[in-house]
Amino acid sequence: MSPLPFHRRKTVRLTLRYILACLLVIIFVFPVYWLFSISFKTPDEIFAFPPVWYPKSIQFSNYMVLFKDGDAKTVLNSLILATASTFIAMILGTIAAYSLVRFKTGGENLAVWIISQRMMPPVAIVFPVFLLYVFFGWVDTFFGLILLYTAFNLPYVIWMMRGYIEDIPLELEESALVDGCSRWAVLWKVVMPMARSGLFATAVFTFVFAWNEFLFALVLTRTEVATYTVQVTHYFGGQSNFWAKIAAMSVLGTIPVFFAVATMQRYLVRGISMGAVKG
Amino acid sequence: MSDLKITGLHKYYGSFHAVKGIDLEVPSGEFTVLVGPSGCGKSTLLRTIAGLEEASEGTIEIGNKDVTWARPRDRDIAMVFQNYALYPYMNVFENIAFGLRARKFATAEINKRVNNAADMLGIGPLLQRLPRELSGGQRQRVAIGRAIVRDARLFLFDEPLSNLDAQLRDDMRVEIKRLHQELGRTMIYVTHDQIEAMTLADRIVLLRDGIIEQLGSPLDLFERPASHFVAGFLGSPKMNFLPATLSGNTAKLSDGKKLVLGGKRDGKTGQTVILGIRPQHISLSGKSVAIGHARVAVTVELVQPTGSRVHVTFPLGGKSLVAELESRDVSKPGEKISIDIDMTRAIVIDPHSEKVI
Amino acid sequence: MAAATALRANPDRNFRYWLLTPAIFLLLLVGLFPLFYSLAVSFMRIDMMDTDTSFAGLYNYGNLFKDKRLWEALGHTLLITVIALPIELLLGLAMAYLFLEKMPGRQIFVSLLVLPTIISPIVAGATWRLLFDNRFGPINQILGWFAGHPVTALWTINPRLVYPAIIFCEIWQWTPFMFLILLAALSNVDRSQTEAAAIDGAGFSRTFLRIVLPAIWPVMAIAILIRGLDLVRIFDIIWALTSGGPGTMTETISVYTYAQGFKQFETSYTAAIAFLVIVILTVVVTWAIRRMGLAK
Repeated sequence: MSPLPFHRRKTVRLTLRYILACLLVIIFVFPVYWLFSISFKTPDEIFAFPPVWYPKSIQFSNYMVLFKDGDAKTVLNSLILATASTFIAMILGTIAAYSLVRFKTGGENLAVWIISQRMMPPVAIVFPVFLLYVFFGWVDTFFGLILLYTAFNLPYVIWMMRGYIEDIPLELEESALVDGCSRWAVLWKVVMPMARSGLFATAVFTFVFAWNEFLFALVLTRTEVATYTVQVTHYFGGQSNFWAKIAAMSVLGTIPVFFAVATMQRYLVRGISMGAVKG
Repeated sequence: MSDLKITGLHKYYGSFHAVKGIDLEVPSGEFTVLVGPSGCGKSTLLRTIAGLEEASEGTIEIGNKDVTWARPRDRDIAMVFQNYALYPYMNVFENIAFGLRARKFATAEINKRVNNAADMLGIGPLLQRLPRELSGGQRQRVAIGRAIVRDARLFLFDEPLSNLDAQLRDDMRVEIKRLHQELGRTMIYVTHDQIEAMTLADRIVLLRDGIIEQLGSPLDLFERPASHFVAGFLGSPKMNFLPATLSGNTAKLSDGKKLVLGGKRDGKTGQTVILGIRPQHISLSGKSVAIGHARVAVTVELVQPTGSRVHVTFPLGGKSLVAELESRDVSKPGEKISIDIDMTRAIVIDPHSEKVI
Repeated sequence: MAAATALRANPDRNFRYWLLTPAIFLLLLVGLFPLFYSLAVSFMRIDMMDTDTSFAGLYNYGNLFKDKRLWEALGHTLLITVIALPIELLLGLAMAYLFLEKMPGRQIFVSLLVLPTIISPIVAGATWRLLFDNRFGPINQILGWFAGHPVTALWTINPRLVYPAIIFCEIWQWTPFMFLILLAALSNVDRSQTEAAAIDGAGFSRTFLRIVLPAIWPVMAIAILIRGLDLVRIFDIIWALTSGGPGTMTETISVYTYAQGFKQFETSYTAAIAFLVIVILTVVVTWAIRRMGLAK
């Protein structure tokens, strides 16, 4: 049997790759699809045996319930917490990163210490922090959780911004210094604009981390500032009759993340690999 | 009046001693070039003047004001950087206006100054472009424009032409020289390129290993170098160096040839020296030997035409010498020619101190 | 004549510290404060019944060694890590190879495959809880098609199935993470090197081991480090899927610490565990960061 000609082999290869690719996509996307589909199903469809693969009609009553009961407020809480903590962490983290890069403050050791804070087990931190917060009355307050999220995301911001700031030519800053800028003005007028795509990308990931966070929220919130991730777990019960709510709440919490990351396609790999891969 | 006065300046980076005690006074309106090989401390010196590096020791005065510890913005300086340092997110106008805006100039004044500078540099039509839409030469003009609108007391240039190709570099050199004549400002210019130094400078400061090796007008340094290093650094093609032994007013080469030195030198008889002869000071023999010239018969080894001139290589005194001759004198390798060396302009170097004697 | 107002030192010399101060303050709050607090409290004898703040010496630390549940929790954590991590790595690598060459629509495939990684682990756990339901979940249904008879596996309850369930969910969520990073790393490998190897007659495995692996290793090491640490700290997925059950069968170190602190209110004992965990992880992390060259 003679081997296939070159272009035929290429076609066969490509076809095989497509088949495998489609299979993978089905496996990895199906659970997400299932979550979305349940959120649109009627109770009869959810608890049907054998399972119904798609809802007969798109209906939003599962979502309406969340808004009527006020549970949807937890999504708003998540939004407030994630936005505020991202904003503060970005500012504090970027200026700290600038100090590390431009003045080599603390040398390599300080930088390593900072990133090692990122690797801290939340469960070991949250317990002492909880006791501290009880003492100060910060449990179940926006302030308390924003403070913690900010602190917890700072290492990531500092680490990422360090990489982006290193990419800025020093001359631009020096030129601004000579031209009449103060150190602060250089930071706002040169460094920030030069790093803006990095700032934006890092902010998106910081936002997503805070948005998706669960353990801190579980321990440090009660009712006032409970996040959507905490709310999802409230629907877990002995009987699984809150499926619709689990699915609808999860979808509410997932859609913003999809949008956030979609805007960040170009920086996705650099963001999740903590700068190990520069895109 | 001097615009810049440096006293006893030292700069350490950890244990590395980059600038080792520099005293320098630059008169108002002068174009001073700091030149030297890489690592000689010329850029460090310039950056310390600008306040971008801290002085470890010594003082810097600009316009009779001690600015040793002043911020760069408080020094009344403008600087042109090697890589242009243009803000990529601002158009040309905003780039040039940046320093004026930082100093809170009125809008009308900013417009006037930017347009003036743009006209002077011929970049008027480019004002709305972004830096990435410009060629290398245009970017360099914008960078210079940004400095001149500032109308500062002192203009600093940090190897501004080193990223340009040869043709552009020649053009920009002329441009900078013209600007200096028009503005009459004090300018300090760092380069490693000796041609830039020779053509631009009113005064050259030649640095080596963090100290001033020699300071003077380009012609001074070219004709009367103080040391082996200076003699070898300036001039193209490079100065020829020949080992020789002094005997009265005569230098004896290793192949036995004797060259009579023009003028009075301090060397003792029997002292071994290095004889320095510029390629430009060698000519093809005419009818008679001019006063102070030595006539030598040599065999041509290599011929390199450069257009108007020709570089001829030949062996003499155990070394290969280069002479820069007129093009019409072109010879072929192997040809025997007779040359006259202007010994009045030859230098004699003590090989131990490396100083010219 | 020098002006009388000449400065004596760099006026901006403290600027660098001003920049760092707020960040360092916050980092100390989540970094050093818990460490010292845990250390202090762990020498006392505080629990739900008793707020005895007297010095208890190494009492709590002694208990650590006798605590079978703690060591089991550590074992569970390690078990999940050593199984899930290599699978995520190898599967991610294989997927990266599949998409390495350009093909029309590649970007769409990659974007879809990334979805699991960016959703909240709690949502991922919740999703799989629904998928794994013995009666109304699609997993058993699909398995039934292959088995030819109805399957009613109790994924989150049956001791034999609960680990596969957790690990499956974990792999589903984080393989795309490995995939993305490795795809980027593979794309950055110098093509001329692999092509030269091919011309020299090197096969796939030889090219991979000698050229590709050394080239992607720095990035791969960081991916392994990030994922390994996440796995050691695993909490959310377990919480959503099994809450550590049945019994304490799937309790990881994080879940156990949480239970001690917030269900048993063993304040001092939890502090001792927290301190232990912080110290171990700090040492391991600092070593790993330096070792793997994450610090440039």
